[in-house]
Amino acid sequence: MKTKSLTFLLLLVVTSVFATTEFSCQGQSDPWTPQQLLAPADLAKVLNNPKAAQPIIYSIGMQAIVKGSIDIGPAMRAENLNTLKQKLGKLPKNSQIVVYCGCCPFSRCPNVRPAMELLKSMQFTNYKLLNLPQNVKVDWIDKGYPMSE
Amino acid sequence: MRIFALAFALLLMGGIHSALMAQPTGLVLGNKSPEIKLTTTKGDTITLSSLKGKLVLIDFWGTWCAPCVEEQVDLARLYKKYKLASFTNGKGFEIYGVALEAKKPNWETFITKNKINWIQVSDLKFWRSPVAKAYNIQELPFNVLIDGKGVILAKNLHGKELEMEIGKNLIK
Repeated sequence: MKTKSLTFLLLLVVTSVFATTEFSCQGQSDPWTPQQLLAPADLAKVLNNPKAAQPIIYSIGMQAIVKGSIDIGPAMRAENLNTLKQKLGKLPKNSQIVVYCGCCPFSRCPNVRPAMELLKSMQFTNYKLLNLPQNVKVDWIDKGYPMSE
Repeated sequence: MRIFALAFALLLMGGIHSALMAQPTGLVLGNKSPEIKLTTTKGDTITLSSLKGKLVLIDFWGTWCAPCVEEQVDLARLYKKYKLASFTNGKGFEIYGVALEAKKPNWETFITKNKINWIQVSDLKFWRSPVAKAYNIQELPFNVLIDGKGVILAKNLHGKELEMEIGKNLIK
């Protein structure tokens, strides 16, 4: 009976250790906090209001679709990440910055992580990732939000 | 009054006739697939309707989409296997690859490097492509299988399911 209880306890401990490890790994894989995710509706509101302070928006994916965004190209490529680094190097650390890709869901996107990691490593204090959970079509274009010419 | 009644009856009959004759267009199984008119890497325009008579897989993909890229290997196998096959509703099998690309070089290089020998078209408008809107694409990969008359047989089937669907239409 004692052995059974001990085995059960041991299993419980092992399981909980594994569960915690997995959870923390998931958290570590995303170099952004939930607070750093910018809702598309909020950005659209700012873009539609010429009196509002406009952020600097970088497209770090295939195409600059969001109105006023600067086309960097896929951040997964070293040369594009370097371009972004150079542009960021000229900005004050408290600049209001937004990055987005929108090719595919975050879990599959190869571009959002390198860009967010770069912003973090360069110690910017006011940067956000545009929250396009599905892609830029579903979460931006189809919603009728402002687009580049 | 009689003339009006006659005209009304004729109009009604005409309406019923066209409704019966015309295949509705839309993304529902059994409907006619919306027309696509896009260009190849060489600039030649190829319409979807020009493939009438063949079983056609419209493959929406992009070089930036990892699962789409993986699937190209399987599509090459299916293309080789069924290209010249006869189906109950079409003679021969074709793939009409619609690339949601933003820039030509990536797309062109991928085609050459992977020796893709089926139709490849794009408007280089990425997610802003009117075709993505017309086909109500929510994510990639996405595909539509149509018969020789352009009627939708299946939507978004991949791997074994896709091959089974193609096989169902084979003349044995």
